[in-house]
Formats: sequence, structure tokens, C-alpha cells
Amino acid sequence: MSDPRPTADPTRSFAGDPFLAPGDGWVGVSPRLATVRRISVVGPAVLIAAAITVAVAVMASPAWAFVAVVASVAVVSWLTWLIGRQVRAVGYCLRSDDLLVVSGIAFRRLVVVPFGRMQLVDVTRGPIDRHFGLASVQLHTAAATSDASIPGLTPGEAAALRDRLASLGEQRSAGL
Amino acid sequence: MTTALPGAQAADWQATRPQRLHPVTPVVRALQIGPVLGIAAVSLGLDQLRSNPFGWLGVFVVVLAMVAASGAWAYLVWSRYSFWFDADGDLRIRSGVLQLNERRVQVSRLQSVDVTQPLLARIFGLAELRPEVAGASSGATRMAYLSQPDADRLRAELLARAAGIRVEQGASAPVAPETILVSVPTGTLLTSLLLQPDMLLLMVGLPLTAVLLTAVGAFEFALPMLLLVGTPFFVVGGRFVTLFGFTVAESPDGLRLRFGLTSHRSQTVPPGRVQAVRLEQPVLWRRRGWVRMVVNVAGASGGEDAQNRPSTLLPVAPEAVARAVLARVLPGVDPLAVPLDAVPARARWRAPLQRRRLAVGNDDQVLVVRHGWLVPTWDVVPHARTQSVRVSQGPWQRWLRLASVHVDSTPGPVRITAAQRPAEEARQLAEAQVARARSARSRSRPDRWLLDRPPE
Repeated sequence: MSDPRPTADPTRSFAGDPFLAPGDGWVGVSPRLATVRRISVVGPAVLIAAAITVAVAVMASPAWAFVAVVASVAVVSWLTWLIGRQVRAVGYCLRSDDLLVVSGIAFRRLVVVPFGRMQLVDVTRGPIDRHFGLASVQLHTAAATSDASIPGLTPGEAAALRDRLASLGEQRSAGL
Repeated sequence: MTTALPGAQAADWQATRPQRLHPVTPVVRALQIGPVLGIAAVSLGLDQLRSNPFGWLGVFVVVLAMVAASGAWAYLVWSRYSFWFDADGDLRIRSGVLQLNERRVQVSRLQSVDVTQPLLARIFGLAELRPEVAGASSGATRMAYLSQPDADRLRAELLARAAGIRVEQGASAPVAPETILVSVPTGTLLTSLLLQPDMLLLMVGLPLTAVLLTAVGAFEFALPMLLLVGTPFFVVGGRFVTLFGFTVAESPDGLRLRFGLTSHRSQTVPPGRVQAVRLEQPVLWRRRGWVRMVVNVAGASGGEDAQNRPSTLLPVAPEAVARAVLARVLPGVDPLAVPLDAVPARARWRAPLQRRRLAVGNDDQVLVVRHGWLVPTWDVVPHARTQSVRVSQGPWQRWLRLASVHVDSTPGPVRITAAQRPAEEARQLAEAQVARARSARSRSRPDRWLLDRPPE
């Protein structure tokens, strides 16, 4: 291969952090992904919180309604902050033989998918994604548990990644 | 998988004449509504049934009419069903009464051919043939029913064609000779099923709790317990009926598994298709030296197929026998001899029961993970069969500086997780496994199970 991508180095030390970035670091995803996720999570959360607050105000006393408002604001702002951090925690890296995807803050995970094991690459764009100019790329192997998806890519980036993965997969295809 | 087969690809085959299923098929199909009628009769009540103006005669006429109707439909289905081999050497099946359906079973992608005999078919000496093709998502192909010898003959022919062996028209394909490796004695099977920790716990625990609750006077809680007392026995009974008479035989196209008391199954495990193996030894089996083996076999994915794919390789056998069978599916591998690396002592705060058993190790062919508390388990995955590798860490694990490494295999009962590894070592373990998988794959031969084997 001509391009100088980092190769896997099993002897490298990952002392302390098994999720350390290889070589030149993780490629992050678009911060707009946080907006998309906030719409789909915080939106409903606000509605539920409002409904609970109203119910409390009617059934109990205004004092309790005030407590409910404070609690709702706390939960919603925590969610908003959490989603921002989660999106910043997503990263991927193409190496010469495999793709690495990292995600999660409290429950962290890292998946290494060898190109030779890829069976198909999906690009998906939901209606909200489309509005914000985002797409996600998902890799499938013969294992159902692999689940390597990279959300929050720009459509151009996603298409380029898909083509690149497809060609790399073809070069290194290894059957089952 | 895309390797050209010498002889098979270039040849143009001769198409064969369309054939029918066995003519008794409609009768068997018609009789299959028997249980439905029985359930209907029971739920309506016999008195209710008899209260029609014609008494028993009326009931008899209605039952006869229903059987006849179902038989007529089964006859239509049968008469529209035909199969033949086309000029490409593939099996074609044409079927459908209202909607015509033509299916092509691509012989070059054949995974296995199973012969099953449900109880009713067995009485008539019939069998169902299930050719399984790699990557078929539209469900299993079922050819029901053929006579037992016809099913065996067609099976042999399909496997011969898959291997690129040419069979003259009219001549029958050579049936692969098989030698029986293991047959599980009935007593051993029953004992082994009873000596499972979970089943024993339920069998003893449920009645005991019921008695205790009654003694205390809490009858309303004791009653549901009593109703559940039978369940573990049903579960054990069900497993016993399914796995009854389990035999493992070796034939050139792989290991052949046969089992079943009421309905008889036969499954083939092509050696190259085994993706991962799990060895289990429930604590109560240890004194007897028994082990159980289950496997992940690559094949068509999808709900219905998943349960037809072989998963139990050996329900119970002495360790030496199990090793011999394992040597057929993963040649040159002895998972129990692989040196294992234990987890650090702090893992006891995350996995107190399993801690002493958690370990991982590898040799140049396989990765072995040991785990389990009441059921000590060894999961074995060949490096060349590793799909992807994951590292995961929850908050509690992070506090303890631990992480888990998962090796993904094709769908099946075996899931490989090296849990509670030291965090500083987990990533190296994962990266090293990816590297081993890559070099093992570049060394491995293409997946052609019948041609790969040296002539014996």
C-alpha cells in the first residue's frame, strides 16, 4: 500500500488507557451530531418534564411544582451536557489493515474491524440527519455482535469513507 | 470462497427431468391437522360436540370433511411441486399453487444437507431434506417428503455435485462412507441432563420453597410454586427427547450428527465451517470426567435457520472422546493444554464467583477463554475465524482498572469474552489478537472442504 497509514503494533504499550488513540489520533465526528441527538432526546424529555410539572401543580401544591421545575431543569441540562460529551467521545481511525471506532464515556468501547472481515458497508441518513447534513456509516461483518458504526459524518465524508472501506475490503477479502 | 473449482466450474451439466416428491406426501400432510382437530375438540368439550342434530355421525362427517379438504389442498401443493437439476448443475425447485415460485439452490454455495424425520413422516418411512446454502436469507429450503432412500440418494448427489464430482445420469452418486465416532448411551444422557446445576436447583428448590411457604401458612404464594414444580422436569424431558440417541459419525463431507427420539434429525458439520467451540463441564460432571461441546457454524443467518443449524456437537462424553471429536473439527488443537493467564486479584470485586476461573491464553492456532462458576467453560476460537475484536469498560471496571476483551464470532451459542483483564493489558491483548487473526488468515487455505482433504 502506498499511503503511510499506521499499522497495528501489538507491542505498543497502552498502560493505563486501553482506549488510547493509535498514531496520529482519533478522527472526531461533527459537533452537529450533538444537536441532532439533543433534538431526539432532550425534546421528548422537555415534554415529559412539562407534563409531570403540570400534573404536580394540579394534584399537589405550587411548592412541589417548583421542585419539579428545578428537577426537570437539572435533568435536561445534564442530558444536554452528557450528549455533548458523548459526541466528543466518538472517534475513528483507519489503519492499513483495520478500522478502529471508539465511543462512550462511562461505558467505553473500542471495536477493531479488519478490512478483510467486512461484508458490507452501509451509509444511512435519517430525516433529521438530512436536515443537518449528516450521515452515518455502518460496517457489517459475519458476526452480528461487531456493530461498528460511525455516526455524525458529513455526507461527503461518509461517501468517501464508504468507497475507501469498500475498496480496502475487496483487496483484503478473506472469506468467512 | 471465490476460488475456482477444478472441473466443476467449466463443465456444463446435463439437466435432469423434473421429479416429484413422494406420492404419500399429501396423506401425511392431511393427517398433520389431526392435533389441531384434537385441540379444537378438547376445547369445545365432547358434550358440546355431540349436541348437534346428528350426534356422533355429524361430528364424524365434519372431521372427515376437514381432513378431506386439507388432503385436497395438500394434493394440489404436491402436484405443483417439482425439482430437477439444471444445465448449470444447480438444483431447481418449482412450487406454488396460487403463486408460482421457482427456487434455485446454488450447489457451489451449499453448506450442508440435513435429513429430518418428524414423527408422522417417520411412521410412513418418509424424510424431509433441507439443503442449506450460504447467505440465503429467504429461509431454509425444505423438500418434504421424500422416501428415506430417495432422500439419502439426493443428499449424496447434492454433496457430490458440491464437491465437483460428476455423476452419470441414471447412476447414483457414491454415498460417502461413514464411521461412527461416538454414540451417547441413553443412561449417560439422562444422568448428564439431571446433573445440571440450574436444573437441580429448580427441581429441589421449587418443591422445597412450596413446602416451606405452606408450613408458614402463605398458601397464596405456595400455589404458584406448586404449579411451577413440573417445569424443570419438562425442560429436562424435552432435552432428552431431542438429544436421544446422539451419534457423531465421520464422513468425507464432515461430521454427521444424528439424534432425536420422536423426530429424528441428521446434521452435517463441515470441518471448515466451525467458527468457535465451547467446552463445558458442569461441576457435578467432573467426578465422571464428562464434558459437553457446542459450536458456532457459519451458515445462513436469520431466525428460522438459526435453530436448524447445528449447535450441539456433543451433549455429553468422556473428556478423551470429546478431544477426539474436537480434533476432527479443529485439527491439531488442544484447548485444555493451552497455557492460560489468570486475572488480577482485584477482579474479585467485579466477578467474585468466577474470579478464580477467569483466564485467557493462546497458542499459534487458537485463542482460549476460560470462565464460569458452576459450569466451568472453555471458549475456543481459531485465530483465522476471528471477525472483529472489541474492548469494553464500564465505570466499575474503570475504577478497578479492568477491561473486557470480546472476540466476535458468527452467530451461535459461543460468545468469546475475556472478562476482567487488567486495563493496561486489554488493548494489547486485542491488538495482538487482530494481528494473529491477520497472519493466520493469510496462511489459511481456501474454504473447500471436500476437495481439501487428502485421499485416505
